[in-house]
Amino acid sequence: MADVLGAFEQAVLLAVLRLDDEAYGRAILKEVQERLERDVAAGAVHSTLERLVRKGLLSSRLGSGTPIRAGRARRYYRLRPAGVRALNDAREAVDSIWRGVTWPLVKAMSSV
Amino acid sequence: MMAETTRPPEWAEALLWWCLKSTNREDVSGDLLEEYRASIVPSRGKAAADAWYVAQVAGFLWRATWLWALMFSALFVARTAYDWRVPTTDFATRSAVSSWSGVAVWFIAAMWTAWRSRSFTAGLLIAMITSQIAAVMSVVGAAILLAVWHDAETHSAIAGSGGLAEVFTLPFMMIVPALIVGGVGSAVGSVGRKVSSALVG
Repeated sequence: MADVLGAFEQAVLLAVLRLDDEAYGRAILKEVQERLERDVAAGAVHSTLERLVRKGLLSSRLGSGTPIRAGRARRYYRLRPAGVRALNDAREAVDSIWRGVTWPLVKAMSSV
Repeated sequence: MMAETTRPPEWAEALLWWCLKSTNREDVSGDLLEEYRASIVPSRGKAAADAWYVAQVAGFLWRATWLWALMFSALFVARTAYDWRVPTTDFATRSAVSSWSGVAVWFIAAMWTAWRSRSFTAGLLIAMITSQIAAVMSVVGAAILLAVWHDAETHSAIAGSGGLAEVFTLPFMMIVPALIVGGVGSAVGSVGRKVSSALVG
């Protein structure tokens, strides 16, 4: 059965997709902040990443550290096939809900 | 001072280290340090960057403790409501139930944290912080109860069950038993994890 994704989970998965080989914690955090146009706590992104890995939607591997991180390793994330399926399902669900509705709504309402 | 060598407050780094799972410590603390040094310090300055770092750590701590704190405060508020609405002079059974339930919450919180972090200190710390967050939640909950029920009958029941001072100060004093129970839970969790790892290989 398809996984039901929340909006924030979708934002994190799409950030991983866009960042491709550069999808590690801080880069994902910045990408999510940029897309959502608001400040997001690092803890919120990390707990979501952890949950998505647990659900089998993402895989992760440790990379090397850099001096600015005091040598601490980066953890890189990658979408798994189940993650791609879940994103496709989420998009399909939204499209299905909106089908037949003229968007943006303000325009649709003014024509009623 | 070069942003690339600037360090956030040591105590905040230590708190973060303790509240993370052992498997995530390096990458999560590295991400936070990288953001602090590469973005926050250059754009906001050291003092504001330190405040940002502390706020991020507080977010991690909140995620590690809020559920346990909510459980404990729910027990406290439920017991308070029961004492106020169903007065008694024999508190033995009620005290036993609420005390042991609270002990169970601290014990499990500390044991679970020590298990996942492989750290005795982490379990102890989470039990202590949980007790104080629970205290704030409990006091807020009791204040809401008081706002709803403040008739003469309830005031008489409050007086008979220890008084308002006890309701609003006792939760903060729970840090002492939380330390003791948390210590036992942490010991069980950290030793249990070591034994389990040794057995699994």
